[in-house]
Amino acid sequence: MKKLLAFALAGSMAATLFTGCSSAASQPESKGELNLFTWMGMFPDEVLKGFEEETGITVNYSNFDTDETMLQKLIQAEGGSYDLIIADDYIIQTAIEQGLVAELDKSKLSNLGNVNPIYQGQFFDPEDAYTVPYGAGVQTIVYDPNTVNVEINGYADLWDAALQDNLAIIGNYRVINGMALKVMGESYNTTDVATIQAAGEKLLELAPNIRLIKDENLQDDLLSGEVGAAVMYTSQVTLAKLANPDLKVVFPEEGIGLGIMAQFIPAKAPNADAAYQFIDYILQPEIAKQCFEHLGYYCTNQAADELIEEEYREFLTLPEGFSADATEMIAPISAEAEEAHVQVWTEFKNACGQ
Amino acid sequence: MNTRKKKQGYWLTLLPLYLFTIVFVGAPLVYVVVLSFLQRAETWGVTGQFTLQNYRQIFQPVYLQTFVDSLKLAFLSTALITLIGYPFGYFMAKLSPKGKKRMTLALMIPFWTNSLIRLYGWIIIFRANGPLDQLLIALRIVDQPLKLLYTYPAVVVGMVYALLQFMIFAVYSSAEKMDWSLVEAARDLGASPITAFFTVTLKQTLPGLLSGIILTFIPSMGLFFIADILGGNKVVLVGSLIQDQLVKAHNTPFAAALAVVLMLMTTLLIALYRKIAGGKELEGLV
Repeated sequence: MKKLLAFALAGSMAATLFTGCSSAASQPESKGELNLFTWMGMFPDEVLKGFEEETGITVNYSNFDTDETMLQKLIQAEGGSYDLIIADDYIIQTAIEQGLVAELDKSKLSNLGNVNPIYQGQFFDPEDAYTVPYGAGVQTIVYDPNTVNVEINGYADLWDAALQDNLAIIGNYRVINGMALKVMGESYNTTDVATIQAAGEKLLELAPNIRLIKDENLQDDLLSGEVGAAVMYTSQVTLAKLANPDLKVVFPEEGIGLGIMAQFIPAKAPNADAAYQFIDYILQPEIAKQCFEHLGYYCTNQAADELIEEEYREFLTLPEGFSADATEMIAPISAEAEEAHVQVWTEFKNACGQ
Repeated sequence: MNTRKKKQGYWLTLLPLYLFTIVFVGAPLVYVVVLSFLQRAETWGVTGQFTLQNYRQIFQPVYLQTFVDSLKLAFLSTALITLIGYPFGYFMAKLSPKGKKRMTLALMIPFWTNSLIRLYGWIIIFRANGPLDQLLIALRIVDQPLKLLYTYPAVVVGMVYALLQFMIFAVYSSAEKMDWSLVEAARDLGASPITAFFTVTLKQTLPGLLSGIILTFIPSMGLFFIADILGGNKVVLVGSLIQDQLVKAHNTPFAAALAVVLMLMTTLLIALYRKIAGGKELEGLV
């Protein structure tokens, strides 16, 4: 009986082996593969399928949770294994410093001119030698004017006592401590410990207004009425606005924090050519439009801006007269300053719970 | 000759266990301890330099406060769990055999669901205008929605809910083995029910109660995700501090030092337990 079972198992395994072969043979001849490594759900299915059909390249999509995991894996792979990675600005800077990123051959990117220059030449890649921007995040405040009875124009208004126990924030300490720095007229990237500590003092006064700190699905708490105002990530703003168009989105008058996720090719990418093809494919305005409407982050492709549907335009494209000078990116700072930030953040969270 | 052969075989059968313990428990432990004495690099990773800075940093008031808060929450949850779990386990042991089986099943079934998902159930209950709010309004106890979610009591409810079963089963297994005739004897000899309980019942169920306390107190030091989800991240526990240091601040050595101190505290508690229980193993654990 046992023998019979073993034979049956072996037979079925052999059978799947053959079906695997035959289905591969019946497909149009494969022209290689692309090992794409990024967060989950970065592209609509149509775009990935469209690319596979047009080029014959198979896309192997693997995903990571955090930028840090990505870097860890890339270090382990010594800059190989992956062909194209999309991650956040600051981690790319570290990856470039570690020599894990390949310099781009721009002659292979015919659509590169479509990129909005606002998002280029930033701290992590000042010469645009390594990266092509994908989505961008702009730090905004969102509030429900029906339940919040103060007008919010900037970060300073969040300190208003009328918002007591009614404000939700994301758990990114550089962004939140940065709000206090901005109110004080300082840079996000100051390395002066005394200034960071002063921002911490300022932040403690915000604690009574904080209802919750959360990174994931913060828009739900705004939509359910748990809080009246929130500081959140751009993709969450998009979801919140789509669900409730009455919400107000504020570009803080003190200055705007900008985050960019960018594409890069690892130093030892096995299929670098496939990566170039993919970057160029999604740089086409029609394709980019689909990508950004799916992603919910700001569109970095200026040729696609005008194609974006009316309902999305308000939060996928920058407002008229938006000046790049009003923005600042959050860049890595010295370990000493970073420690001061973490300490300020921990004190602040403690104060919120009191 | 014969005995030596026997001994060799004995060691061989234990070898996989030892290997497993060395590779998956010993080595990571050593790694964490070593890491906690190294210095962080400017942006990523660590340098090979030896330092005590990570341990010195723990003594800053803001980080000491997280240890105090963790202990406070653990004490409070354990006290409430004892108050609810001890009588529950005690009376469960008095049920008929059929009743015991049913009760065990009823307590086990929720365990089949992921604890995170069960916590999301509490979010729905506590949410603004959620079932609890509506019930309280319908009963005219309050006249407008309370802000129940993202508060300290919500965290405590989550902790009690997540750990209550451990106490119930520990007390139950003790109470079930109890010699009830001793209680009867005490009553026959004129002890009041209360005296009989404190002199006979409590003493016999003490091992179960103590292991229940250990089984709830120690995990409650580490269950930071409950404070994150139900408390809106506003109660900073050691666990969430370690996570912040690892994931957001890239300060692995400091995170390792915090973890080492947390482990030392836990070890101390178990040592304390063994002293009280007179060197006996944890009831219900082994």
